[in-house]
Amino acid sequence: MAVQPPDLATVRPGADPAADPLDAGPRPRGRTGRRARRRTGKGLWIPGTILGLIVLACFVWPLVYRDLPSPTAGSLLQANLPPFSPGHLLGTDPLGNDIVSRLLHGGRVSLEVGLTSNAIGLLLGGSLGMFAAFRGGWLETVTMRLLDMLIAFPSLVLVLVVSTYLTPSKLNVIWAISFFSIPTFARLARAATLRLREQVYVVAARLAGARDSAILLRHIAPNVLPQLLTYSLLWVAAAIAIEASLSFLGFGVPASEPSWGMMISRGQAYISSNPELVLIPSACLFLTIVCLNTLGDALRARTGAP
Amino acid sequence: MTTQIQPDAAARTGDPDAPLLTIENLEVTFRTRDAPVHAVRGVDLTVYAGQTLAVIGESGSGKTVTSRAVMGLLPRTASVRGSIRLGDRQMVGLGEKELRKCLGREVGMIFQDPARSLNPTMRIGSQLTEAIRVHLPLDRRQARERAVELLAMVRLPAPARRFHEYPHQLSGGMRQRVMIAIALACQPRLLIADEATTALDVTTQAQIMDLLLDLQQRFAMGLVLISHDMGLAASYADQVAVMYAGRVVERAPTREMIAHVRMPYTRALLDATPRLERPPHAPLPVISGRPPDLRALDPGCAFAPRCSRVRERCRQERPELAEHQPRHEWACFFPCADDTIPGEDER
Amino acid sequence: MTTGNGTGRPLLEVRNLVQEFVVRAHGGVRGGVVHAVSDVSFEVRAGETLGVVGETGSGKSTMVRSVLQAPPPKSGEVWFQGVDLATARRRRDLVAARRQMQAVFQDPYGSLDPKWTVFSIVEEPLAAYRTGDRRQRRARVEEVLDLVGLDPSVFGDRKPGQLSGGQCQRVAIARALTLAPALIVCDEAVSSLDVLSQAQVLNLFERLRTELGLSYLFIAHDLALVKQVSDRVAVMYLGTLCEVGPAEELYRNPLHPYTKALLDSIPSPDPERPRPRVPDELAGEPPSPLDPPSGCRFRTRCPRAADICAAEAPPVRAARPDHTVACHFPLSPVAPVSPARHGGDGAAD
Repeated sequence: MAVQPPDLATVRPGADPAADPLDAGPRPRGRTGRRARRRTGKGLWIPGTILGLIVLACFVWPLVYRDLPSPTAGSLLQANLPPFSPGHLLGTDPLGNDIVSRLLHGGRVSLEVGLTSNAIGLLLGGSLGMFAAFRGGWLETVTMRLLDMLIAFPSLVLVLVVSTYLTPSKLNVIWAISFFSIPTFARLARAATLRLREQVYVVAARLAGARDSAILLRHIAPNVLPQLLTYSLLWVAAAIAIEASLSFLGFGVPASEPSWGMMISRGQAYISSNPELVLIPSACLFLTIVCLNTLGDALRARTGAP
Repeated sequence: MTTQIQPDAAARTGDPDAPLLTIENLEVTFRTRDAPVHAVRGVDLTVYAGQTLAVIGESGSGKTVTSRAVMGLLPRTASVRGSIRLGDRQMVGLGEKELRKCLGREVGMIFQDPARSLNPTMRIGSQLTEAIRVHLPLDRRQARERAVELLAMVRLPAPARRFHEYPHQLSGGMRQRVMIAIALACQPRLLIADEATTALDVTTQAQIMDLLLDLQQRFAMGLVLISHDMGLAASYADQVAVMYAGRVVERAPTREMIAHVRMPYTRALLDATPRLERPPHAPLPVISGRPPDLRALDPGCAFAPRCSRVRERCRQERPELAEHQPRHEWACFFPCADDTIPGEDER
Repeated sequence: MTTGNGTGRPLLEVRNLVQEFVVRAHGGVRGGVVHAVSDVSFEVRAGETLGVVGETGSGKSTMVRSVLQAPPPKSGEVWFQGVDLATARRRRDLVAARRQMQAVFQDPYGSLDPKWTVFSIVEEPLAAYRTGDRRQRRARVEEVLDLVGLDPSVFGDRKPGQLSGGQCQRVAIARALTLAPALIVCDEAVSSLDVLSQAQVLNLFERLRTELGLSYLFIAHDLALVKQVSDRVAVMYLGTLCEVGPAEELYRNPLHPYTKALLDSIPSPDPERPRPRVPDELAGEPPSPLDPPSGCRFRTRCPRAADICAAEAPPVRAARPDHTVACHFPLSPVAPVSPARHGGDGAAD
């Protein structure tokens, strides 16, 4: 008889370390869930709120507040206004564009690029990895080797190549960045699927007569998705950073659509006279990325994903 | 090969009649979000040199928590009250550093899963040598010699060769032998085996138990077997303590216990164990229900809801463990008479 | 309940089953073929329980998986209700057979998807076979949950994480029962449960056997446990069957030295019985299935081994009606004839 004695050294992810070994009956999941929430509460709610505010400001404020000046149609007459000038809370840049409006617009571009490239990676990469791992055999080998080749490329160089070849536009930047998110998500999904495929309940489902597609959709995907989602938060941060680097180097989105990276790049020339031109967008970029990373870490700790 | 080991052990066993381990009124409570979990609720146990005590219980009975409390291996959420004396040293409230000094030197422990107790990236030899050098002032070469000696002592085949191997190259039984060697590296006076043979095959289990009893005799160690298996306890232990819901509910010398079971829970355990003597397809007499929730316990006997002999008094009042017959203690108001089967007699 | 016994053939008949795996150890070095199951034949008759005992590495779990065709065996025949599953290339035959052959595995938590409710877990086979409409399925799920002693209104919406080990195992049994199978394969199904919940589940298996006329292929490493539920017992060592016989007789009068060693190793709750004693020869470790011994697989640990044991594999011989052994020197004399097959026609001659 191999009765598992309670083992204090091994606590299942998400389980209550004290109650688990002494488990005397049903596992009250609600309780352990609450506990975990408290433990990671700060890491979850603070960055979550800040991110929510940033998203609201970037996407909703321009819609609600109609008087917001256009980010690109500034007048040279109003160039280089200092912060707290009437009508221009953070002042204007050397071309007379309102900085608040540029910031909001830039944030929108950054987030759009980050989220979209991420969604592409998650969907395409995730399903590729899952499918490859589930089917196994030569299909898996070929798919994964191809994706490995993508990963092996120095990322920035590839993005540069792609975005110079294609005309600079937001869409092309998104595709360029997706080139990295796809293999990363695919590998993650593959690793998770390989682990799940060996789970007894997957074998049991097959013995119960479930078809491959049903197993993939109903057993594998729901268990892989939380891991991918958690990881994707970290990827949004990375994608935003890549977009900023591209814009900084001048290969990003076109000048008609300011992004944070572009603002930093343009502001560079004036760093001694008007340091706020660089500092303010940098601070926004920094805050967003830090929040995304902390949130991702907190979620990962909570779901117990690797 | 054991000449080096023997005299030291003999020197340390001072008074042979003094108990090695005395646990008095031990209580362990785990803090959780909503209600504290009372894992161990007043346990008294004594182990003498050269004696084997089996602690029997299901998961959640508190047997493992008790043994971990002795080793100071409980998580931070645990609060420990009561007294655990090893020789004449009080272990409860001991600082981490002093505790560590004690562990290994005074008391060794082996666990159920030898695969996870060994570091997969280190050679057997290095792990053993490390364990020796933590406690004994030996140089590298001496520690090595000692390690090979220990591996031979636990009857690991070809110890000098195995010394250079990694855990994954050994079978489960061999790994458990290595764990025993590590636990015995400093000749502790007390060895706790927590389900040490549960994961092993029966033939391997028999060999490991042989080895453990042999070593115990040689070094006059106290041995505590934590197990769920009545058969193991009956075959190898001098004394058996049965735990239920964090308390010892019956304790007696093994023969006395099996021959005259008093506690209805012990009876239920014995009856529900499949035995070679039973004919196939005979239904196992088994009680229904599950162990109580250790967060919210009623004032009465914890076993009352599942007990076939329960009466009103059992729900109101908690029976204490007491020596009702010479050397036979139980915690029950209405103990089984000899040869009763639960449910068969009147309620 | 159809058991497929109309023709007088056994419900499940396994002939010369072989399962091997190629392992590539690090960088292709030290690779080889794991001979997990080598030429195993046995049968399970309608309405009976065949217990299979063996130690870790004996290949009993692999054997079960091969019977279930997950993954299919390398060679050999698995006849179930008149269909050879191993050669049933048409998916439909396999699927139809699987409906009648369900499994319960060891790990109570691992065999249930943690994200599903008890209700949907038990419903899954019905959904997979597109059986009945929603209301019929619901009724069936409630029926089988009742059958295994779980109140559907209480447990239906719970998830595996909210259940105890014993309750999880009941859910797994309920899932196995939904399609009204003829055979349930139990792979260490109660091994990870506590003594009392183990006894409860064992009694449940027995009740279902008599109520539904089920057959079981019951795999475990615990001999006492196997005896509790089995009509006949097969002893497995290193991928081969040593001995197959009626439970009572095999335990009372073992013929194979390995069976005897196993029986002698079990500690009994009766303190009057002698302490388990293992012959010195057995003290060694079982050989690796990567490189099994020639001839009789048990010879390296056998106290009775002689030259012939290394030279040739022992034939399966019928000792008594229905009791077969594969040993050159069995513990009591057996008939010199050798055309018997384990658990097979031995009874006939």
